[in-house]
Amino acid sequence: MKRRTFIQGVIGTGLASLLSENVLAAKNQPSLRFLRPPGSLPEEEFISRCIRCGKCGEICPNRCIKYFDSENGLLSMDTPYIIPREKACILCMKCGEVCPTGAIQPVEREMNAILKNVKMGVARVDKTLCLSYQGKTCGVCYRACQLQDVAIRTGMLEQPHVLDGCIGCGLCERSCIQIPQAIRIIPDHDRVVV
Amino acid sequence: MSSAWMNIQRNLNKLRWVVLSIVFCMLILIPFLHLYQTYEASHAYDLLSPTEKSISDTMEWLSSPFIKDAETDLNKLKGTTWSATLFGLKISDPLAVVGQISAGKTIYLPFLMTALIPILFTMIFGRFFCGWICPATFIYELNDSLGTWLRKAGLPVSRRKLDFRLKYLVLGMGIVISALMGVIVFAAMYPPAIIGREIYYAIALNGFGAGMVFFLLTLLFDLMVTRRGFCRYVCPGGALYSLFGRYRLFRIKRDVEQCNDCAKCNVVCQFGLDPLRDNFSQECNNCTACIAACPTDALSFTINIKDIPNQGAGHLGHEHRRQQE
Repeated sequence: MKRRTFIQGVIGTGLASLLSENVLAAKNQPSLRFLRPPGSLPEEEFISRCIRCGKCGEICPNRCIKYFDSENGLLSMDTPYIIPREKACILCMKCGEVCPTGAIQPVEREMNAILKNVKMGVARVDKTLCLSYQGKTCGVCYRACQLQDVAIRTGMLEQPHVLDGCIGCGLCERSCIQIPQAIRIIPDHDRVVV
Repeated sequence: MSSAWMNIQRNLNKLRWVVLSIVFCMLILIPFLHLYQTYEASHAYDLLSPTEKSISDTMEWLSSPFIKDAETDLNKLKGTTWSATLFGLKISDPLAVVGQISAGKTIYLPFLMTALIPILFTMIFGRFFCGWICPATFIYELNDSLGTWLRKAGLPVSRRKLDFRLKYLVLGMGIVISALMGVIVFAAMYPPAIIGREIYYAIALNGFGAGMVFFLLTLLFDLMVTRRGFCRYVCPGGALYSLFGRYRLFRIKRDVEQCNDCAKCNVVCQFGLDPLRDNFSQECNNCTACIAACPTDALSFTINIKDIPNQGAGHLGHEHRRQQE
């Protein structure tokens, strides 16, 4: 075999495997329920903006930002994610400040700015699991929330009701004392701000 | 040429090793400082494990002369050579900007500005990043010394030559693939980016990731195929810096009247260039190893935007004498 044909073959195969749907499609992977850091752009734009420098994790005082290896598809390799049940975002907004490319947009640490620009997901209560809905007054998720009465309010017996202001930081899911948790963040990867 | 200036130039190679070591140490130090910050932020020193306590104590001892409040002041020092925040100033690798523009198909001005300083320096000093800063160079040069020892021990260390233009092809293909996939592929194949990231993963997160495998393969490539092969023939960042540094101001020049044709410069040049016959070209990374090796002080820096064409045999050598007769 000539060297030229060998090199052409290697490059061709590499390209083909890179572009094949199986490897490409993070969408086809089993859905991992992860969040992106607060202020992230919509998923596809985020993936194309992020240069994988790792500074968002390096500045996170809560160490809640982790990085994908290959488990979520090659496209999102080395990109930051948050699993709220393990460690939730405390909305310090430092990651947006340090991000060089604006993949995580800088957002001021102030309630109106956060409500206007941040949408990681939205919380959903499972009433069959939630203690308050079983008559055992709890209200821990409400106490954990940084946006009380904007993102979540409590009714009779501290029963939680998620409001439109919920941005999905995950502190409620993190703090829920039920196993499995009765309140979960449903990630919003289009990150549409209501 | 004053002898004091020549003295400085002869020692630049040592200075370069100091700089390389400092950069590499910083890459290790910054994740530890980050850990220290998180310990501070959690306000629970007495609950730390003995290892964590010693990390916290060491980092406090190291940083306390420079900062007041670890939780916020250390935020000014973050990142790697791929993209860093140095005392509040954001600096990024030009390759990151090029890759991001092709992946995102938009230009984000604040990010573009972060690459201006490196580009400016490259236009003055050429591929200086490759020789003076790159954390991968630090390891590749040690790897090359290992190769030399292995060779002395009689093991086969291959030093074949490839075409240096291959890396421009890699750069071009990387840009095209980034644009097609909408993802910056350079981040996964550019050794300095990989090293910075993997050191951080290893120290602050759960250990080395997939990038480390790729980096180890490049080390093997350098040993088994060609000397410093990745930097010379594959590295897309090297290609970009070469292009920016093609008409650099500072370059090494051979003084033909002082040269004795001993060819020590060609032996020490890890990039396989030909200082002996004035062929530095855009590939030279101004590492100054040849200046340090030259026994007659024939090599020195000049300000010139082009290389001098081949000046022929050195005037102190045998070949020149034979030509004269």
